[in-house]
Amino acid sequence: MVLLGNEAIARGAIEAGIGWASAYPGTPSTEIVEALHRVAKQLGIHVEWSTNEKVAFEAAYAAAMAGVRSLTAMKHVGVNVAADPLMTSAYTGVEEGFVIVTADDPGMWSSQNEQDNRWYGLHAFIPVFEPYSPTEAKDLAREVFEFSSRMKHPAFLRTTTRVSHTRGPVTLSEPRKPLATGSFRKQPERWTIVPAHARVLRRRMLERWEKIGEEVERFPFNRVERHGTEVAVIASGIAYGHVIDALEELGVRDQVTVLKLATTVPAPRKLILDVLSSHKRVLVVEELEPIIEWEAKRIAYEERLDTEIHGKDYVPRVGELTLHRVASAIAEYLGLGGVPWRPVDHEPKVKPPPRPPTLCPGCPHRGLFYALRRAVNRAGVKPIYSGDIGCYSLAVLPPFRMQDTMIEMGGSVGLANGFAHVDREKIPVATIGDSTFFHAGIPGLINAVYNRSPMLVVVLDNRVTAMTGHQPHPGTGFYPTGEPAPVVSIENVARGVGIEYVETVDPFNLEETEKAVQGALDHIRRTGKPAVVVSKRACTLLVDAAARRKGVEAPLYTVDQDKCTGCGICYNAFSCPAISPINGGKAAIDPTLCTGCGVCVQVCPHDAIVLERPGDPEWEKLWF
Amino acid sequence: MSRLNVLLAGVGGQGLITLASVMAKAGVIEGTKVLVAETHGLSQRGGSVEVHVRFGRVESPLIPPGGAHVVVALEAIEALRSLKYMNHSTLVLVNRRVIRPNLPGVKAPSLEEILEELGKAGVKVLDIPATDLAIRAGSSLAANMVMLGALLATGALDGYISRGGVEKVLETMPPRWRRVNLEALRLGYGALRETEA
Repeated sequence: MVLLGNEAIARGAIEAGIGWASAYPGTPSTEIVEALHRVAKQLGIHVEWSTNEKVAFEAAYAAAMAGVRSLTAMKHVGVNVAADPLMTSAYTGVEEGFVIVTADDPGMWSSQNEQDNRWYGLHAFIPVFEPYSPTEAKDLAREVFEFSSRMKHPAFLRTTTRVSHTRGPVTLSEPRKPLATGSFRKQPERWTIVPAHARVLRRRMLERWEKIGEEVERFPFNRVERHGTEVAVIASGIAYGHVIDALEELGVRDQVTVLKLATTVPAPRKLILDVLSSHKRVLVVEELEPIIEWEAKRIAYEERLDTEIHGKDYVPRVGELTLHRVASAIAEYLGLGGVPWRPVDHEPKVKPPPRPPTLCPGCPHRGLFYALRRAVNRAGVKPIYSGDIGCYSLAVLPPFRMQDTMIEMGGSVGLANGFAHVDREKIPVATIGDSTFFHAGIPGLINAVYNRSPMLVVVLDNRVTAMTGHQPHPGTGFYPTGEPAPVVSIENVARGVGIEYVETVDPFNLEETEKAVQGALDHIRRTGKPAVVVSKRACTLLVDAAARRKGVEAPLYTVDQDKCTGCGICYNAFSCPAISPINGGKAAIDPTLCTGCGVCVQVCPHDAIVLERPGDPEWEKLWF
Repeated sequence: MSRLNVLLAGVGGQGLITLASVMAKAGVIEGTKVLVAETHGLSQRGGSVEVHVRFGRVESPLIPPGGAHVVVALEAIEALRSLKYMNHSTLVLVNRRVIRPNLPGVKAPSLEEILEELGKAGVKVLDIPATDLAIRAGSSLAANMVMLGALLATGALDGYISRGGVEKVLETMPPRWRRVNLEALRLGYGALRETEA
């Protein structure tokens, strides 16, 4: 069957008999645990969306301590959040297989950096395994669980975007029977990391690391495809796929030896030494950092080899690898005079205008940012818009430009705490999503109360983790299965930690939203204390999908061309993608894109936007 | 060479991933290896989206610049943006639809300007009113299947996947979508025959 790389990993985990999976969604890792959610009940295993990666890691770690095979999955920067328990997990080891999937994002398709998490393997003494395709991802995931179980040691399965988000053929095998419950055996000298225990555990960990180094020498997913003794290419992960096709396209597949590596940390020393010592020249092709390249050079130095070793001097270090980049590097290295593809030689006079991602038509965040800016201007406040990670990050683009800083999950509230005290002329306005608030926003908010930071926190509560594909969270009220869940109220959290000004608004009501923001800014100026505004409206995509499913018609708006003056407020300042300028700059609404939110009616100063067709009365009830 | 590179271009939300996924599943039914490289998350929200579909003897999921045998654009500006993937024998299927990028002050080129540029580039262009036909089939979201119908009618996928294989995949969809998609596929297939006649 055809599976996405991430789904293939989920399948491999099922075949390995996992009893536990926990994660926080993050591109490109999300679909692993999403897929496991779909079969959790049927298999009788525990699968959860956790509040953040640290909790997801800890919970999965505990399952493995208690003898249950467990998986946690996160995007590369999620591992930073989980790094504290991660760094100690190799000291204690585990009782059953514990696999941490790190989905790295070279090229930064959906991320703030392109850190190479193979470093974490070296740093934390956790072996790193890398599949090159969805097909291999399934089998490798299964094998890594066996490895981790055998070694009683955590293991990384590292993918990159083009493995996680590539669909390909996968052949299924019989799953092991899952074991969902275990029994925790008390061993304080192992599970409590007081210095006296840790000193012993560190020595034992290094002994295990030696053993792991020997094991990876015979790991079945590494292999040498031998062709001659002149040139060898060493490739790991997705780079292997690019290398094979590049050699084919360049017509030199039968002249170059390829060492395919699935175990990159620790690297299989003997295998690499064998290739180094049997070839004159070696090129290492790996995505991001030169980890294998440096290892190969170290081995060559220690063994006094004079093999020529190249890597990042030919293969780009920045950005993801592609077939084109790898083929270009190999062609240059072998002196082949370029790649075999010839793009059309035509410089178009009509340039395609840029099309960055944008807030969707009917997105509640659009109303919030529009009203927020008006309120801030009216109050005469100089704002610092301290931004965060989620769909609302898109407000960094014109026309809003209302994300002055954006660093990491929860960073909006943390940075606002600093700005509030050092830049007294301005008021920091943190904008943070509902899921991000639960993930890492709460400690910053408590800090603001305790340290009296005059700042506004706006929680953009669209009732779901939207950007990664609509996963529920503690405020949503349901599980991925649709079953009802306890609700943690953002307002109650804010009040509970001591915020005095907490207002909830509907961002589809611009006047109400503006008023609440102005009230909050007044409060901050008057008392010097923080305030919270919760902007509450479900993600339009969810409501849209529900409406389609149930055959419920949304209202449709249209522009009265006699009244429209072509001022452009609706398509420029408000920038709804469903509204475009037509002849002479007058506005027109695309009925295939309009979601019926009606906020543009409030935005138009000429009352030119009117209801063309009222919605089904049921439509209003779909919002939550 | 026994491989075929099909680049899908469009705007996030137009159903490119569904289109690619149907092609991949048809590949499995017909014993053809297919790799699909997709874009998810942030890069999907109403922005430009490229999906790479490779058939045959392939290990890398990405199509190199100048390496597309076929470009299928669900939106015309995105066809122009995909120019770098085209070579002189590339077949380009363009939906007759322009979606203005959502940036203040942006002026979108017209469909005619875009088709003229593609013509000047020397590639073979077939323009198809896919969104109109999709609405006729029951939903504007089915423009992806109209384009797939048209692509199958060109014969470019012969030897890799067939209309019958694609129909088998569409048969497995929920009833409401099955009907719309099969109709969209049929209309697309017919439309291409008319264009070429």
